Amino acid sequence: MLVLNPRRVVFAGTEWPGVTLVAVDREATRVAVEWGDAGPHPTFADVTEQRVGVRVVIELGDEDVGSPVPGAAGTLSFHTSRSGSEGGRRRVSMSAVVTGVSHELSLKRGAVRTIDLVAVSADGAADPVTLADTGAE
Amino acid sequence: MSSFKGLDLFGSGPHRFSLGRQGQHVVPDYLLGLGGAGSTPQGLVELDVVVKGRLVSATESGLWALRDAEVAQLLDPPDPGLLADGRGREWTGMSFITWTEEPRVEKGRVWSVAYTAVFRRFE
Repeated sequence: MLVLNPRRVVFAGTEWPGVTLVAVDREATRVAVEWGDAGPHPTFADVTEQRVGVRVVIELGDEDVGSPVPGAAGTLSFHTSRSGSEGGRRRVSMSAVVTGVSHELSLKRGAVRTIDLVAVSADGAADPVTLADTGAE
Repeated sequence: MSSFKGLDLFGSGPHRFSLGRQGQHVVPDYLLGLGGAGSTPQGLVELDVVVKGRLVSATESGLWALRDAEVAQLLDPPDPGLLADGRGREWTGMSFITWTEEPRVEKGRVWSVAYTAVFRRFE
C-alpha cells in the first residue's frame, strides 16, 4: 500500500505534519515450501510468518528535535487523499512500534525524516492494518 | 496413495520416502574386549524406512486429528504391517517406531506441521 500526501497522520495521539508518503510493505519472514516424490516442483507453499513494515516520509520545514524514538508504540492512523476529493476517502489505522528514525538533507527535497515502524496484530491472527471507508467525513 | 496398514496417514500433505542406513553394523574391537585398532562386523542392520513430510489441515482441530491418528499407530509392543509409498514400492513387516514433529505448528493460509516418521523391520 502506498499513500501519497495522506491527510492527518497521527501516531500515539500526536499528529505528524508534513507527511508526503506512507508506504505499507508486507514481507514473508517464514515460508514453508515442501516437495513430494513425484517431481522437482514444490507441491505445498504457505507463508507462516509475515511482517507488515511501514515507512513514513516527512518533509521538515525547520529544525525539529521532537522525533519519535525506537520502541515507541501507539496507533498510527491516516486518511487517504484522492486528488483532493473528499469522496472515497479511507481511514487506515494500525497498532505500530517505531523501529527507526533517520534524516536526509538534499538540495532537491530539503530536510526529510523517515520513520520506520512495524505493525502489530492484536492476537497474531488478525491483520494489523484496518481500512475503513470514511467518505466525506 | 501412500499407506501404513492400509491407513492414509500422510496424504494430507506432501511427503517423501527414503531408506535409512543399510549394511553391516561394525563395532570397534576394543569395545568387544578384543584389543587392537580393528573392528568386527556384527551383521546387517535392520531396515529403516523414513517418511518426511507435512501434515496439512484447514483447521487447528483437523490438524490435531491428523496428529492423533499418527500417534495412535505407535504401539507397544510394535505391530508390524505393510508400508506403501503409493508409487509402487511396498515394505512388509514394518513397525512404526518413532514420530517426530518440527518444533512449531505453522499457521498461515492453513494449519500444518512438518514431521519425520520412522518405520523399522525388526529381525
